[in-house]
Amino acid sequence: MSGSTTLVVLVILTAIVLVGILVFRPTITATRGGKILAFVALLVFPLLGSGMGIKAHIEHSTSTKFCLSCHVMEPYGKSLLVDDRSYLPAVHYQYGMVSRDHACFTCHTDYAMFGDMRAKMRGLKHVYKYYIGTPSDPIKLYSPYNNRECLHCHLGTRAFEEGEAHNKDPQVMMQIKNNQKGCTTSGCHNIVHNVKDIKDATFWKDKIE
Amino acid sequence: MSEPLTKLERWIKISGLLIIAGLVVELISLRWDHPTSFLVFIFTGGVLIGIGILAYLYSIVSVRN
Repeated sequence: MSGSTTLVVLVILTAIVLVGILVFRPTITATRGGKILAFVALLVFPLLGSGMGIKAHIEHSTSTKFCLSCHVMEPYGKSLLVDDRSYLPAVHYQYGMVSRDHACFTCHTDYAMFGDMRAKMRGLKHVYKYYIGTPSDPIKLYSPYNNRECLHCHLGTRAFEEGEAHNKDPQVMMQIKNNQKGCTTSGCHNIVHNVKDIKDATFWKDKIE
Repeated sequence: MSEPLTKLERWIKISGLLIIAGLVVELISLRWDHPTSFLVFIFTGGVLIGIGILAYLYSIVSVRN
């Protein structure tokens, strides 16, 4: 349990105790102190706990564990453990190029204004699809993967800026930065999750820890 | 024998019970590792707390009237 979740749990437990006092002794609201207690217990603490709870849920929704808790995501989780450096997510996950606890979110959030908000709205759509509709197989991105998401971390790094393939033609670097030449679609880093071949792969570890 | 509760006290009791139910649901949803937990948090916990708060506010207004 993260620090913020522990704090929310404490606030909610305090609220339950305070509200419990009022439920068992509602007559105390006849006094001035009781009225203040009622205001704090029935309005301030529940709103505070709920607000903090929403924040904790949003924070939790960025975790790898959270993304992989839907069974349709299992093969995508396994693809992080493929023992093959040509698998883009695997090399990022295994070599610590992304935080392992936030691996999915790091690459699949939208690093633009309101990107997080858009990701959350899509998350609600995913829950709807999961229970009411049918998720596509394999899962497809809403739009072609934008280089912006890669460049959020790689821009300015020596490997990217001085990379031989990136500099062999002056136009290439410009096209990558302008998203005209897709990192994952131009034939350079095109092995991504590749879940259809996952059953034949060998793995670094058995499961995500 | 205890005195019967006033209207305000009755409403506070109802409001308190709704809020406790909502808080318990929110607490459980925070310990549940699944995307559905957020929906349970909002649409069950949040709604129960919302109704409880409205009941409390109504109790204040109605008694004052």
